[in-house]
Amino acid sequence: MSVTPRAPRSLQGRLLAGLLGAVVLVWGITALITWRDARHELDELLDSHLAQAAALLVAQQSHGGDEDDAPGLDAPQLHRYAPKVAFQVWHAGRLVLRSANAPVDPMVGAAASATSRPKRHADRDDTDQRGLNTDLRTVLIAGTDWRVFSAVGAERDIQVFVGEQLQSRQAILWAVLRSTLWPMALALPLLGGVIWWVVRLGTAPLRSLSHSLAHREPLALAPVAVVDPPSEMLPLLAALNRLFERIAAMVEAERRFTADAAHELRTPIAAIRIQAQVALAETDEAERHHALRATLAGCDRAARLVDQLLTLSRLESGTAPAVAPLDLATLAQRVTAELAPGALQRQQALSLDAPQPCIVAANDPLAAVLLRNLIDNALRYSPDGAVVQVTLRRQGDRVLLQVEDSGPGLAEADRDRLGERFFRVLGSGQTGSGLGWSIVRRIAAAHGASVGVSRSAALGGLAVTVDWPAAG
Amino acid sequence: MRILLAEDDTLLGDGLRAGLRQHGFSVDWVRDGAAAARELRAQPYAAAVLDLGLPLMDGLDVLAAVRRAGITLPVLVLTARDAVPDRIRGLDLGADDYVVKPVDLDELAARLRALVRRAHGQPQETLQAQGVTLDAARRSVSQAGQAVLLSTREFDLLQALMLSAGRVLSRVQIEQQLYSWGQEVESNAVEVHIHHLRKKLGAGLIQTVRGVGYLLARDTVAP
Repeated sequence: MSVTPRAPRSLQGRLLAGLLGAVVLVWGITALITWRDARHELDELLDSHLAQAAALLVAQQSHGGDEDDAPGLDAPQLHRYAPKVAFQVWHAGRLVLRSANAPVDPMVGAAASATSRPKRHADRDDTDQRGLNTDLRTVLIAGTDWRVFSAVGAERDIQVFVGEQLQSRQAILWAVLRSTLWPMALALPLLGGVIWWVVRLGTAPLRSLSHSLAHREPLALAPVAVVDPPSEMLPLLAALNRLFERIAAMVEAERRFTADAAHELRTPIAAIRIQAQVALAETDEAERHHALRATLAGCDRAARLVDQLLTLSRLESGTAPAVAPLDLATLAQRVTAELAPGALQRQQALSLDAPQPCIVAANDPLAAVLLRNLIDNALRYSPDGAVVQVTLRRQGDRVLLQVEDSGPGLAEADRDRLGERFFRVLGSGQTGSGLGWSIVRRIAAAHGASVGVSRSAALGGLAVTVDWPAAG
Repeated sequence: MRILLAEDDTLLGDGLRAGLRQHGFSVDWVRDGAAAARELRAQPYAAAVLDLGLPLMDGLDVLAAVRRAGITLPVLVLTARDAVPDRIRGLDLGADDYVVKPVDLDELAARLRALVRRAHGQPQETLQAQGVTLDAARRSVSQAGQAVLLSTREFDLLQALMLSAGRVLSRVQIEQQLYSWGQEVESNAVEVHIHHLRKKLGAGLIQTVRGVGYLLARDTVAP
């Protein structure tokens, strides 16, 4: 079954439809109950009127004697309702009195022989205390439904029919129903308007929120403010603002990183440019060579800086590196061997002391970057002829990697700041961005290792210790 | 013209020193802020190129210290910090120009010349006095429409005198303005260059004030 995407329905529309629907339903049920009740009461009332009138006629005939024999004497019309009400008085099978609108035939077919009464339409059939045989039924007379009350006198020769058109009852019922429904029909649009307005008022904070979100600059990350927010919206607002805060922090970090990186690149690029211009304008061959070599050195430095920036940016993206069991001793051998030729050029003694395998859970390329940065830093910031010692030891469930040098070391204040991005020790006479330290710290953190910086007791320079959790 | 370059980056400092020398400046290069502040107070530089991120003492602190000491030499701030607040702060602290890395060498030299010129109340790139015209950018000198060939030192000496036209410059002042550190200054070098200038441009151009120094008279400006 495929789900076709529907246009989202508005909250206001849903509430309006739901509330109006509920009101109409409740009102309808009320009207139905009212109508049923009214019909019942009306039937009772009007039936009792018919009975009353019939009893009156029976009594009048019984006592009034037979002197007035004129059949079909019409009773005067006294009320505009009168045509809807009719009566007949039969005496010994003879019609002695009838209203003008009453038929000449008995209103109830079996009236002449009062003994046989059709039960089919009988609603009420009983004998009251005065000895009247009474009967209440609905009959069809000349195409119209009549409610007819028939009463037979005690002497059994007086028979009275009092009828009323059913239509008139229905008219009354409809009038009652109308009076119930009319206000509703009138009130419904008004109620709809009020509900619409109230719902609109209630959802105003929502609209204000969506408006302020929609009209936001794509990078505006200030907290959203909604005037007088309802309590239901507070968690949403809080979550939204927390999200904005997090994104703002991320964007800010990213922006700062880009700005810092651009700044750091400016100096090598400026150097490359100036040296190239000097080389172009220089006429002295030796000076020109010097400037060209300096240009190349500047390019190398810029390239290294870019590499470091990329490494750092990958590390800062926050994805955990894939780790596998790795022998740090083997890795240290590889990295030390890589860096040894450069150290030899500066008559620096670089040595590795790793007597046993040291297995840690690490990402091979990242661990290599960490080692290379540490050893490279030690070589770079130590003078020609210095000693750099790399040591790897297992201590219980830890693996300790230490890189010591006989260089000038660091003041305590500078030690604390190592690892801040782009912090570098000034006056070291070396070109560096300070990114190496940030990278070392981040790689260590990603592997659950800690980095400690202290003064080397053996060599007098800097001692950097990386404390790894051992694996296996 | 002797200028002080304060830049801690080895490659950039080396390049700037070589490049500005190509443009006829004598360059003293210091690599930290403390040295820059010290040298600026000790020597009469024509101008200074100041990096901001200097070791020991930030470039802006150097600038503030120098200005507090009443030294008015033109200072060009050369930095990687390009944010507008940084520029404003630099200029407010007394920088005369603010240049963001990387910079074109020719532009940097032109800016330095302009700063020096303005510091001497000279709006044009060419200096004129006593019928002698000196073009600082092209490093050429002419007299009465005829080009005159001068050595580097002779040119620098003439430029120094013309920039200070109407004022007496002592031999020591001239030496300080002409020679950067480590350059051998023979005891009579200034006299020799003055002698050559007089030979090339006429004896009356530069006057000797005995016991004080030398003077290049200012053109009398018609009122």
